Amino acid sequence: MKRFLETGNFAITEGAILAGCRFFCGYPITPATELAEAMSKRLPQEGGVYLQAEDECAAMHVCIGASLGGMKAMTATSGPGYILYADPFGWALGCEMPLVVVNSGRVGPVSGITGAPGQGEFYLTRYPTQGGNFEAITLAPNSAQEAMAMVVEAFYLSERFRMPVTVLGDQLITDGFEDITVPENEDEMKEMGFRTWPRSFCAGPDFYPYSDSLDIPPVQMGSGAGGLCSDWTPTEQGYDIEEVEAHHKHAYRLIYKVRNHRDLFNHLYEKKYMDDDPDLVVVSYGTPSRVVNTAVDRARAEGMKVGALRLINLWPFPDEHFKRKTKYLSVELNWDGELVREVQRAAPKDSEVHFLGSCGDLPTIPDLLETFEKLLKNQPLERKGWTLEAW
Amino acid sequence: MQYSSATLIDKYLRTRKIPSTACSGCGLGINHKVVVQAINELDLKVNDIIWGTSIGCAGRQTFATWQGDGFAGTHGRVYAIARGLRIALPPEKKIICTVGDGDAFGIGLMHLIHSARSNVDMTVIVNDNLGYQSTGGQFGFTTPQGAHTDSSPYGMFEHNLMSEGMDVMHILKGAGATFLARHVAMDGQRAVESVKRAILNPGFSLVHMPYPCPTNFASRELGSRNQVNIYRWIKERAKPLEEADENTVWATGVWHDATGSRPEFSEHVWGAVNKIRKTGAL
Ligand code: SF4
Repeated sequence: MKRFLETGNFAITEGAILAGCRFFCGYPITPATELAEAMSKRLPQEGGVYLQAEDECAAMHVCIGASLGGMKAMTATSGPGYILYADPFGWALGCEMPLVVVNSGRVGPVSGITGAPGQGEFYLTRYPTQGGNFEAITLAPNSAQEAMAMVVEAFYLSERFRMPVTVLGDQLITDGFEDITVPENEDEMKEMGFRTWPRSFCAGPDFYPYSDSLDIPPVQMGSGAGGLCSDWTPTEQGYDIEEVEAHHKHAYRLIYKVRNHRDLFNHLYEKKYMDDDPDLVVVSYGTPSRVVNTAVDRARAEGMKVGALRLINLWPFPDEHFKRKTKYLSVELNWDGELVREVQRAAPKDSEVHFLGSCGDLPTIPDLLETFEKLLKNQPLERKGWTLEAW
Repeated sequence: MQYSSATLIDKYLRTRKIPSTACSGCGLGINHKVVVQAINELDLKVNDIIWGTSIGCAGRQTFATWQGDGFAGTHGRVYAIARGLRIALPPEKKIICTVGDGDAFGIGLMHLIHSARSNVDMTVIVNDNLGYQSTGGQFGFTTPQGAHTDSSPYGMFEHNLMSEGMDVMHILKGAGATFLARHVAMDGQRAVESVKRAILNPGFSLVHMPYPCPTNFASRELGSRNQVNIYRWIKERAKPLEEADENTVWATGVWHDATGSRPEFSEHVWGAVNKIRKTGAL
């Protein structure tokens, strides 16, 4: 193993290469640009190709093309680019084309602040395209080291589920320098818990079975056997068809191949002080979880019965962690509250669900401690100069 | 060299999709046959070609007609997909995309320009039905000036890519395309010869092929779905490049042949990658 003091961009690049990624196409956007730069340097050294597209929509389509030709591909962007992936995302979901998409979140809406972290794409990663009738997989690391692991995992899941998988980070993860350990061989990868899945090959004409089954090779162009892929509702052979029954089967597969195999990723969460039935559970993902974890340690030291639950797989939403009837606090890098709505939905009826947002910077530990204390004492949370819904 | 449709269908096409669901009298079938005939005359096999299509009448009617591998892209994006695919495919495989004018010259123009810039080895056949016909008949960016459509009831008066001395071919030539030709559907063997040259060009080739749409374009502009009228209307406005005059809308023939003048995209990219891998620099 090799150790580096490097950025999350470096870690993600090395993770992708370890997972077998040999194709990257992107479009420069802060704070994901350095990831493209790192790929442009590293991929040719590994016999891979880096391309720069004319826009984000093209970037993901170019990746889709490479994947359609049998290469493991990745693209990376930030929120304003991720929304432009909506069109190719639909194609990749419908055609069941494996692909990894990294989103380094910044403050929005729209272009917002380019160099400040944000978590405004929680729902966008669940509904990254039009039309509905699909399920999405999103992984959210909270450090550079974990970003490497999650990118490897994203490639693994994307191959097995035959679909694009999003890795949702933020500016602090991709740009921040941290101590990073890179495995140098397969044994070391296994030791670090990295799992990989090779690209397999479906020449066609079979496109897929109407079932929830995994590990079906994606259609690959080039053999002449009659493989077909299109954005229309497919038949079992990949023909376009305008029949509702065929679409029912298609939608069933896109939704339930993910929902019926949640066991593959429902271990991706982190628990802290959750074994003694805490009076308050602080829910978070990504970089805010690092501050939350420290604040929860402090709160425990001060005798507050607080636990922390950090989500790594965001979609499908891990409802199973919200069975306990207690108080919940969702801590997020946005002011509108996104994760909190899912917590509210997943938590038992009449659970108290609260929200603490920050915008462009992380919440402070004193702020968090004060909030914990008030919630535990049943005192109302102080609102700042903007109106929030009463959670 | 003429071939009966039946011979070409047996050899190259999926009978399940032939005949297509195109309206009767539609000129798209003629263009489609021109492409398959060119493939046949070049003696290419089913597994030599990956067939890409797009949206609209042209995309929908030609998708899954090829016996071999095929894909359809969303609105205007097939050129970007083809670019990625080109990198992954062995160089001897050919990519042929049959698309519509809205897809190529409207929503996909930027991707098309960048495919030309990169000189990606693919052949784009733009089947131009003079507007947006699968959505009912609106004007497009190559609709002849003054034409009446559902969205130009007073006659198409916007500046477009085929008016006032402008021609979309100039844009593509400027962008770096290495083979460009135009033929109307009734050009017969002249069109086949151009498509053959386009397929053989190891770089970005585009053949613009306006064709008659009796159902929507003709019924709005000529007031009749009678296919004879629209075929004649198009023929009257098309002339070989060397004979073109001020009344010519479609100057036909080979517009630009720069075969071999620029390195092909995937060869260029892989060459650079291999060099960097070996020596650490370019
Ligand atoms: S609408 Fe026009 S172009 Fe489309 S299939 Fe019918 S005749 Fe052909």
